[in-house]
Amino acid sequence: MFEYDFMIYAFLSGIMIAILSSMSGAFIVLKRYSLLSETLAHSSLVGVAVGILLGLNPYWSSIVFAIIAAWLIEFIRVEFKIYSDAILAIFLSGSLALAVIIVSLADSFNNSLFSYLFGSILSVSEDDLIVMLVFSFFALGTLLFIHKELYFISYDEELAKASGLNVKFYNYLLVSIVAIVIALSIQIVGSLLIGALMVIPTISSLRLKKGLYGTLIFALLFSIISVIVGISLSYYMSVPSGASIVVVLIIIFIGTLFKK
Amino acid sequence: MKFSSSVFEVKNLCLLRNKQDVLKNVSFTIFKGDYIALIGPNGGGKSTLVKTLLKLISATSGTIKILGQNQSKFNAWDKIGYVPQRASLLDDNFPASVLDVVKMGLIVKNKHKLFFNSSFNHLLDDAMKKMNVLHLKDRQIGELSGGQRQRVMIARALVSKPEVLILDEPNTGVDAKHQKDFYVLLKKLNKDEKITIIFITHDIGVIADDIDGVMFINSTLRVSKTPTKDLSCNIFSKVYGFDAHMLTHRGKHV
Ligand SMILES: Nc1ncnc2c1ncn2[C@@H]1O[C@H](COP(=O)(O)OP(=O)(O)OP(=O)(O)O)[C@@H](O)[C@H]1O
Ligand SMILES: [Mg+2]
Repeated sequence: MFEYDFMIYAFLSGIMIAILSSMSGAFIVLKRYSLLSETLAHSSLVGVAVGILLGLNPYWSSIVFAIIAAWLIEFIRVEFKIYSDAILAIFLSGSLALAVIIVSLADSFNNSLFSYLFGSILSVSEDDLIVMLVFSFFALGTLLFIHKELYFISYDEELAKASGLNVKFYNYLLVSIVAIVIALSIQIVGSLLIGALMVIPTISSLRLKKGLYGTLIFALLFSIISVIVGISLSYYMSVPSGASIVVVLIIIFIGTLFKK
Repeated sequence: MKFSSSVFEVKNLCLLRNKQDVLKNVSFTIFKGDYIALIGPNGGGKSTLVKTLLKLISATSGTIKILGQNQSKFNAWDKIGYVPQRASLLDDNFPASVLDVVKMGLIVKNKHKLFFNSSFNHLLDDAMKKMNVLHLKDRQIGELSGGQRQRVMIARALVSKPEVLILDEPNTGVDAKHQKDFYVLLKKLNKDEKITIIFITHDIGVIADDIDGVMFINSTLRVSKTPTKDLSCNIFSKVYGFDAHMLTHRGKHV
């Protein structure tokens, strides 16, 4: 399958997404905020719809919309003290509604949007790959430098604040990174399925009880395996790549359930 | 009279929450080296007062000075160790060993570093030894008993060598023997290491001999510097009843 350029791009971008989503997703899971990824995936869909409507590159418009949604969610969660699962539910269905309205206004509910729902490995271009590579570099670098702070905040936000950490700053930084990761990923994994790639690797590796670094390393391993196996399955069985990746993830998760 | 500088200097602190006075005109000064018990009925505002001192909640009015600085300018938070009330009730699945949790107390001193500075290792060991949790070092925090977790949380608060230790009912869930050890330890921290201690508790009788002062709070504050003498049933009924309103300005802690 490597005789095709698009397959090489698919694997490369898939592995990058696996790394990014599992590493940023780990902190979302630890903060018991898993639904954020699902929600932002739908918000980036609004960006895609707007992009299609206005003839912009959906790549950039989805990033912008995901970040705006992430900041709004964080702002409302903190300032109005609304349950975070409730605010996420509101944004999730609200975004989907908005996206559907926009595409039906534009009368363009075409394949292009459909591919953003379930992901399409065929759509990765060399340019996309470069954007992803540049962003991966910055996102992983940032996460690396603030991982101890994020860890502390996930453990106990109030205690972290009392210790003098600027909790607000780190929270906004984390949700921004997550928003961009998701916007970059929906093209490949699909907005309906990216949540799985952000959450399941960490949930599975938490079952192994290996401490923070063990959890991160196993999450990384699980997500890379699922992307490689998933894309190969998708190639040989002609099924959407996002779906096959998620199926592999679920199998890994079930496997970890048997660990005592 | 002690001629020492103040750790907390609070003047006319008021806090309204949902149109209710949670803290009403609270003023006091706590000096370096003091060992203060903060007592009062459930809902009296003990935790709220402490959180306001720590800037976790903003006051409606009044001024707070920490180590001589206005709270808004203060940023040496690693000098203040805090053990919150619900510290032992955290998520069982969180991937953290005892060592990881104690390390959290040093994160502010190791900001934006990839790794911990290994010169801090002895601080970690010291704090764990002090709280008698060194043998639990590699155990997951979620697998420990409530009392053990509580001791880990205190080790976390001590690891940055704070000048002040604020404990919000740290002895709930600690058995009688460990409680006694715990009080001995607090006294030692206070006397030997000169750590200022603010201790929220419901059973003050046990530490009455150790402490330098009592603050009774039931939205308003009453301060006393002669705990043993004042700890009559009379005052207890007053504190835990409704009426702790009369403010007697005596002694140094006003
Ligand atoms: N988040 C909140 N919003 C509004 N009111 C609050 C909040 N938290 C506490 N209160 C109110 O503030 C008052 C003081 O609460 P606080 O927790 O400080 O009491 P406490 O003295 O620590 O009690 P306890 O002994 O039960 O720990 C109570 O009347 C409570 O209802
Ligand atoms: Mg309390």
